[in-house]
Amino acid sequence: MMNSLIQLLITALIPRSRRFEFQVAMRHLLSGGWQTLMTISAVTTGVIIVIFITSLIFGLQANISKLLTDSIPHITIKVADPKPKTLQDLHDPAISSGRIEQQAPQLKLIDNWEQVVSTASKLPNVKAVSALVSGQGFASKGANPMGVSVIGADPVLQDMVTPVTSDLIAGKYQGLGSDEIVIDSQLAKDLNVSVGERIRLNSSIGVSESLNVVGIYSSGRGRGSVYITLRNGQSFFGYGTSVNAIYVKVYDIYDVENLSKTLMALVPYEARPWTADFGSFLTNMQVMGASAYLISAFSLIASAFSIAAVLIVSVLQKSQQIGILKSMGAKQTQILRIFVFEGLGVAIFGSGLGAILGTAIVFLLGLLTRTSTQIGKPPDRLFPVQILPKYIAAAIVAAVVTTVIAAVLPARRAAKLNPVDVMR
Amino acid sequence: MNEVAVKIPLPKISANGFHPSVDTPLVIETRGLKKTYFGKVNIPVLFGIDLQIRQQEFVAIIGQSGSGKSTLLNILGALDVPTEGKVLINGVDISTLADDELAILRSDEVGFIFQAHYLLNEFTCLENTLMPITIRHGEADEEQTARVLNLLERVGLTDQINKHPDEMSGGQNQRCAIVRSLANSPKIILADEPTGNLDRTSGEEVFALMREMNRESGVAFVMITHDDRLAQQADRILLIEDGNVIEMSKAEHKHKFETV
Repeated sequence: MMNSLIQLLITALIPRSRRFEFQVAMRHLLSGGWQTLMTISAVTTGVIIVIFITSLIFGLQANISKLLTDSIPHITIKVADPKPKTLQDLHDPAISSGRIEQQAPQLKLIDNWEQVVSTASKLPNVKAVSALVSGQGFASKGANPMGVSVIGADPVLQDMVTPVTSDLIAGKYQGLGSDEIVIDSQLAKDLNVSVGERIRLNSSIGVSESLNVVGIYSSGRGRGSVYITLRNGQSFFGYGTSVNAIYVKVYDIYDVENLSKTLMALVPYEARPWTADFGSFLTNMQVMGASAYLISAFSLIASAFSIAAVLIVSVLQKSQQIGILKSMGAKQTQILRIFVFEGLGVAIFGSGLGAILGTAIVFLLGLLTRTSTQIGKPPDRLFPVQILPKYIAAAIVAAVVTTVIAAVLPARRAAKLNPVDVMR
Repeated sequence: MNEVAVKIPLPKISANGFHPSVDTPLVIETRGLKKTYFGKVNIPVLFGIDLQIRQQEFVAIIGQSGSGKSTLLNILGALDVPTEGKVLINGVDISTLADDELAILRSDEVGFIFQAHYLLNEFTCLENTLMPITIRHGEADEEQTARVLNLLERVGLTDQINKHPDEMSGGQNQRCAIVRSLANSPKIILADEPTGNLDRTSGEEVFALMREMNRESGVAFVMITHDDRLAQQADRILLIEDGNVIEMSKAEHKHKFETV
């Protein structure tokens, strides 16, 4: 039954002129016992390691990136800080001090923000653009005022740039009204308020408002900002119809530097990419990626060596048989192909098994959980693994290529054996 | 076990064997064949051998161990190359052939039988006997398979065809090896002590089979043997001594081995 099935497959898949080599290779593998199992398990182990390492490291990388870049804008558009001026620029003979002083902070507003938003939105890689006002204020309920950072923005756009709704543990953010506010769970605890209660918010310029708490969120990243509407924010900080920052969210977070240069060429403001503030983070991510590739390469090389070792032994054991086959008219290329087919057989079975087992291990690891750092949220995954079909396919291809290379070396030796020498 | 002697039809030729005429085509011819093994000490083995073997001849090669019999046989079968001189197989000088052409020559013109059967353990008796065809064509077609099955029937192995070599007796394996050597219908079969590993009965049985195939298909046999009784049954006897070949008449040979 099994044999006739194999026969059917051979007839369907292998051209007649190659069936001799294929048959011999298959018989070698089937009769190889522990040797075949050893080589197959070497390939399997290699592929499992590659799948495991890539899914773990790239999963971890994606997780950390998401954790960080979800909470920050990828590009922040602001009015540039004025550069310090030298004495020559001032042309004032009365000034004789050699001290160079940074100009005093001044109100830095973007008046034509609607125009900037529409320009930025049209650029490639841009996912969302949100204009907002941000500043400092004090929140209080009764006696104790707490310092908070205040963000006034359109809830729909804000959710696209630095999501709030997904972190909510009570109430709502979308549909925020002019006398409503969303606060973070830490502040809610400190002020001892819950959804539906009112708090007082005082701005740094002395504006005071009583706002209704409609949502409480927890991001798991320390104390967060409080959110009010854009219109509310503008009047709260006395900005009129202007904003003081525009946040840009992109699709590819590692390709923001060119985008920020393009933006600066188009608008008269500073466009600061997130990588400018998190340089070491970026380097660490790249090192993580590189180490995943290195570990994968080393494990594949290690399995290639063990395959080559087993195949060299196999060639030595089979040298007499090779002599017989050559005495019956087998050509060098045919002998070479036998061992390449053997290598291919091992590679295909081994990497297939490795892909299945590797994916299963990654899947099972992904089911393990730990308590969430975000209050009131479902538990987080213990291993932030990702099943990445791209790397599974790459692992299979790499395993097949290295195995065949490992097989060719002893095969060339086998093909050159002189029948008279091995049949004595 | 299927060890019953195979019935052999009486030969049509005289008791003295087959004597070809000069018109019978030459299948092997050597001219001044020399062989020296080079190493720390150079060992000359063959000193200029001129040999002619014609179609359908059954030639026995005798001689002491180490006299160069196997070396000669390997050179005749294009498995080894002479240091000097020429080998013509069916009129073709094999020194002019490339590696792949030599492989085709070994496949189409020459069959080998060795002292050990050298069947492949991973394959059944039938698969082993079809191996030369598989090597040459990738797969045996129905006609080729039928022909080989017929040969297997002739040597009494029909009920063994699905067995592996380690499941069969020495005699059965050697019979299987004979069928394998005939699979591609070669013109020449080179046999290096084919009965050397067998007991007397099995040895005689295997020899009788080779003789039968030789008579029926006209394939020439060159057989190395240490068994003088078998050599007596060949058409010609060649003695290799001190690297030279000496043609012996059967009477000379009989006299020699009876007096030893």
